Amino acid sequence: MSGAGTGAELRLVTPGEAIETSSGVRAGTGTISYGDAIIATKVGWVNNNNGVISVDPINSAYMPRSGDLVIGVIESVRNNLWFADVNGPFNGLLPMSLAPWKVEFGAAREQMDIGDVMLARVQEVDEAHNIVLTMKGVGLRRLKEGFMLEVSMTHISRIRGDNDSTLNMLKDATDCRIIVGDNGRLWIDGDSEGLSVMKKIIDFVRNEGHKENFKATLVEFIEDARRNL
Amino acid sequence: MVELVPKLLQQELKRLAENDQRIDGRSRWESRDIKLETNCLYNAEGSAKVTWGETIIYAGVKFEVRTPWPDRPAQGSLMCGAELRPVAGRKYEPGPPSPESIELGRVVDRGIRESGCIDMDSLCIIPGEKVLGIMIDIHVLSDKGNIFDACALGAIAALRTAIVPAERFDVGEDYPLAVSMTPTMCSFTRVGGRYVLDANDEEELGGNERIHITLGDEGHLHSLQKGLKGTFTPAEFDEILQVAQQRCAELAELVNSQEA
Amino acid sequence: MMGGYGDIKLLREDGLRLDGRKVDEMREVEIEAGILPAADGSAWVKHGLNVAVCAVYGPMEAHPRKIQRQDRCVIDVRYNMAPFSTSDRIRPGYNRRSREISKVTAESLESVVLVERYPRSKIRVEIEILAAEAGTRCVGITAAAVALADAGIPMRDLIVGVAAGKIEDTVVLDLDKAEDNYGQADLPMGILPTTGEIAFLQMDGDLSIEEYNTCVEYNMKAAKEIHELQKDALKRRYEEKMRGES
Repeated sequence: MSGAGTGAELRLVTPGEAIETSSGVRAGTGTISYGDAIIATKVGWVNNNNGVISVDPINSAYMPRSGDLVIGVIESVRNNLWFADVNGPFNGLLPMSLAPWKVEFGAAREQMDIGDVMLARVQEVDEAHNIVLTMKGVGLRRLKEGFMLEVSMTHISRIRGDNDSTLNMLKDATDCRIIVGDNGRLWIDGDSEGLSVMKKIIDFVRNEGHKENFKATLVEFIEDARRNL
Repeated sequence: MVELVPKLLQQELKRLAENDQRIDGRSRWESRDIKLETNCLYNAEGSAKVTWGETIIYAGVKFEVRTPWPDRPAQGSLMCGAELRPVAGRKYEPGPPSPESIELGRVVDRGIRESGCIDMDSLCIIPGEKVLGIMIDIHVLSDKGNIFDACALGAIAALRTAIVPAERFDVGEDYPLAVSMTPTMCSFTRVGGRYVLDANDEEELGGNERIHITLGDEGHLHSLQKGLKGTFTPAEFDEILQVAQQRCAELAELVNSQEA
Repeated sequence: MMGGYGDIKLLREDGLRLDGRKVDEMREVEIEAGILPAADGSAWVKHGLNVAVCAVYGPMEAHPRKIQRQDRCVIDVRYNMAPFSTSDRIRPGYNRRSREISKVTAESLESVVLVERYPRSKIRVEIEILAAEAGTRCVGITAAAVALADAGIPMRDLIVGVAAGKIEDTVVLDLDKAEDNYGQADLPMGILPTTGEIAFLQMDGDLSIEEYNTCVEYNMKAAKEIHELQKDALKRRYEEKMRGES
C-alpha cells in the first residue's frame, strides 16, 4: 500500500486505461506495455516507484509464491501426504517429508485430519501452479485453538502496517494473539472479551481498510471499542 | 461442491453459544436487516427483490391461460419453483436442478399453497376449458445464509402485488390478483448446539440441522420442514415455535405494507 | 427479421423512432459494480428496460480435468434468462440459444482477460438476465467486463456490448423490442473501448456494405459512451470507500 496516506494525490485506474506514455518508465505489476503506453490491467491505485509504474489492485485473488506464510485448511489426507486449501486456485500439497512429525504409513490422519487448520510456508510453486507446502520451520504447526478469519488480499498489508506497527497495536489493544497469513487469512486467539474486540476491529478493517486516513480512524475505533467493553 | 468446514469454525461457534453470543454479534433470536422492494422487474406480472443481510433473491410471477386438469375442471393452478444457479455462490454448480433447489422450491410452494391464500376456484375463466395458471419463479443471486426465509418472503410479496394480464389473454381487463393471506417463513438452524434464528453463511457452514416453519395470518402452521443431519426435541420445537409466531407476524406486516 | 411486416411503422413522420430516440441515440444505461456479496466480483446493468446481473468466481481449479489448459485459464460463461424475464415465461434450463451466446461471449472475454496468468484454472462468469427487452447478449457482455474487473481479474481492456441495426431501410443504434422484432437487421458487437478492436460479432438480416459501415460507426460511438459508465461504476465503488461515504 505504498502511496496511500503519503498525501500525494492518488489516481484510480481501470483495465485498459493508459497510465503513462513517457519514455524511461517500465511496466510493473498490474500493468502491461502496449505500444508506447503503459496500460492498467486492474482496478487500483497508480504507483510510480523510481520509474516502475504499477497498479496497487483494490481486489485481487491470492496467487501463492514461494516463501509465503499461509493458513491452510486440510481438505484431504492420503497415506503419506496432506492436501490443504490455501485460499488460492489450487490446493497445496504437504508431503510427509516436510511435516513436523514422523508417522506410521497410513496414520497421517492421526496428526492432521480433514478440517484441521494449519500454519505452513509455501516451499515452492512450479510453472503449472502446483504448490508444495512445508511445516518445518519456527512456529509452523497445527492451529488447535483460536479462530480463522478471511480478509481481502489488499487489507493484509493494512493490518500489518509499516514494520508491523498496526499489528502490534492490535495485539496490545486486545491482548490477543494474531497471525497474519500472506493468503488473506488471519488467525486470532485470546480470551472472550479480547476476541470480540478483535473481531470488531477486523470488521472495521474490512469496511474501512481502503481509506486514506485508515490508521488514524483505526486508533479512534480501538479506543472506542475498549471504552465500551 | 461439498464445502470444507474448518474445525476452528465449529469450535468457535460452540464457544460463542456457551457465552450466549453469535458470530456476527447478533442475539439468538435477532434477524439481519431486511429490505423488500416490489414491482422491480419489467415483464414479470408481479415481482420482488429481497435483500436479507447479504443474501439477495428475486421472485417473479407469470400467468398462463391453459386447459384445466380433467379432475378439477373449474380450478386454476399455482406452481412455485426456485433456482439455485451457479450465480448464487461458489459452492453452486451448473447442471440439472439440484435436490437442494427442488427442496427450497417445494417448501416455499407448500407454505403458500396450503395457507389457502389463493382461491383456486377464482382462477377459472371457462369451466372445463380455460383456467389461469400462476407460476412463481424464485432466483437466488447471492447466498449468504438463510435463503429459505428470503425466498418465501419474496414469493408472497411478488404474489401479493401481481396484476393478472387479462387483456393480453383476451379475457377482460387487467386486475390485481386476489391473495387473502400473507404466509411467511421463519427458519432456525442449530449452531454451536442450540437453535438460532436466521443463520448467516458461516453459521450454516459450521452448524447442523435446520427447521423451517411457515405460519399464516392466524398463526396456524402451513408448512414444516426439517433439513440436514441431526435431531431435535419437542421442547426445542416449542421454544422456536414461539419465536416464529412473533417473527412471522412482523414479516407479514412488512409484506402488507408494500401494497399501499 | 426480414421485413414483411408492412403495416408496422417504426419511424415517425419527424424521423424520430417510436420511443422518441434519434437514429443514432442509445437507450439509457445505468451500471453498478460489486452488488452481489457472495461473488468475487459482480455488476448490475440496466440498459433500457433490460436488466442483467453478472457474478464472477475464481480463478479456481478447472474441473473436470479434461477442460484444463496447461498454458492458460478457461472462461466458463453461463448466459441465462430468468423464467420471468420475458413476456412469455421461459422454462428454466439451458437451450440452444443460451448455449451459443455463452460460447461466443466466453471467447470474446478470453480476448481481453490475461488468461495466460492462470494456467489450469477457470474463471466462472454467470450472466443472469432478469428482464429482457432486446439486446440482452450485449448487456451481458457489458456487465461481465465490469464484474471481471471488480473481481480483480487482469484484463488488457474492458469490453462493451452494443448493437446497431436497420429499420425501414434506415440504420439505427441500439434496437428496442419492436425494432428487433420488426426491423430488417441486427448487428451486435463486443468492442474493446480503448483500442477499438472487436471481440464479439454476430449479425442477422440484410445490410448493404454502406449500411454495415454506418452500423459499425454507431456502435463505436456508443461503446465510448458505455465505457465511461463502466469506468464510473468501478471508480464510484472504490472512491466512495476511499472517501468514507459508503
